[in-house]
Amino acid sequence: MEPQQNKELADLLQACGQGDSAAFARLYDATSPKLFGVAIRMLRREDLAEEVLQECYVSIWTNARTYSAALSAPMTWMTSIVRNRCLDTLRRPRIEVPLARDDESGEDMLAAVPSEELGPHALLERSSDAQALGKCLAKLDGKMRQAIMLAFFEGLSHSELAEHMRQPLGTVKTWIRRGLERLKSCLAENQ
Amino acid sequence: MRYRDKPELQDRLAAEYVLGTLRGRARLRFEGWAREDAALRRCVEAWQARLVPLADAIDPVQPSRRVWKAIEARIGADARSPGRDSSLAGRGTGRAGFWESLSFWRTTGLVTSGMAAALLVAVAVREPRVVEVPVEVPVERLVEVQSKKMQPAYVAVLRDDAGKIVFLAYANRESNELWFRRIGMSNPGGGMGYELWALPTEPNEKPRSLGMIPGVEKGTIQLASAADQALGNFPALAITMEPAKGSGGIATGPMIAKGDCQKFW
Repeated sequence: MEPQQNKELADLLQACGQGDSAAFARLYDATSPKLFGVAIRMLRREDLAEEVLQECYVSIWTNARTYSAALSAPMTWMTSIVRNRCLDTLRRPRIEVPLARDDESGEDMLAAVPSEELGPHALLERSSDAQALGKCLAKLDGKMRQAIMLAFFEGLSHSELAEHMRQPLGTVKTWIRRGLERLKSCLAENQ
Repeated sequence: MRYRDKPELQDRLAAEYVLGTLRGRARLRFEGWAREDAALRRCVEAWQARLVPLADAIDPVQPSRRVWKAIEARIGADARSPGRDSSLAGRGTGRAGFWESLSFWRTTGLVTSGMAAALLVAVAVREPRVVEVPVEVPVERLVEVQSKKMQPAYVAVLRDDAGKIVFLAYANRESNELWFRRIGMSNPGGGMGYELWALPTEPNEKPRSLGMIPGVEKGTIQLASAADQALGNFPALAITMEPAKGSGGIATGPMIAKGDCQKFW
């Protein structure tokens, strides 16, 4: 999201916080396909993703007044609500979601994460934050990057990652920890 | 875990919380800490800003219309259909906020006490979302209480939707003075203020405005009658955001906080 869109969404959230339900409808219109995409990707089941989306928008409406544009970008705030709810759903004991297939490495998403190799059009479509992140991810060791991507996009836990990547749990935990540390310093350098 | 003294550990936990690899009880415990600790919340926000842009790579998927219908039903039917430009039409629709919030609180189970649950079920079957509240004329002034002993009183503890206590109220049953204390409630500004409501038990009764809450940390609100009359049949109190001059007796804004109003005698 670029500044203009951010401003519009932040204004809509603020209006929602004051009970403006027309603003809420516009916010839903503008953001629900993106957030639904996130939920589908993590939960892999449309029924669960719909349930999560519904819960999240009710929560967004109710909590809109607590949103602060100074603290987070609107899409980041809303996406975090959705990812959180997806993780809660994945934690429920009897929920069965198809596991990531063996041929899915998370690398398919990296292709979609903007990097310098993408053409100018794709670069324009993605936000500058995502571009910076894509560059930093590309610098990580393959396994480290894969572990982070799988955790982020598929919602895999440490033990699920270990199983999926056929690696000891400790190794996977180290990859995640070091990978996150390196991302943080890489992003800080590029700022 | 003494995470507070260890900024590196804090940062690592925040990172794995945002990534999603912090799971189970550890995740819940972390959320508990974050609720109490603003510095930890800043760590989480910083990691969200770092990692969540990854989601840009996910292709949008148009959700079914039934999702919006369900959301609309949950928050109140006044929300305009998406895809329509209703910027003008939207102006008057905020008044559904009060009931929308009640419905939200009912369905998410944040209100747990039996009394409040009964109240909310009653509210849920109520047909109109907006009701007229007759403006009451004060019928008596404050009754002086001489005894040093504890007086029978009404007490209410109001929580916001995150479960945090934000408002305390206390009124001697024969007094028409309601003492209050606001906890961490900042003034909304922009010509808006907070209005206090007494919520009824029966579906055919109306919430009663108890007046605007002064913008001070501690103070009093003059009830229209002695607490026994003003609060006796109202098992809960709620706060909505309204124009600073008052809603005029019809709740229009979102609900800020709510809690049981108990007899303490």
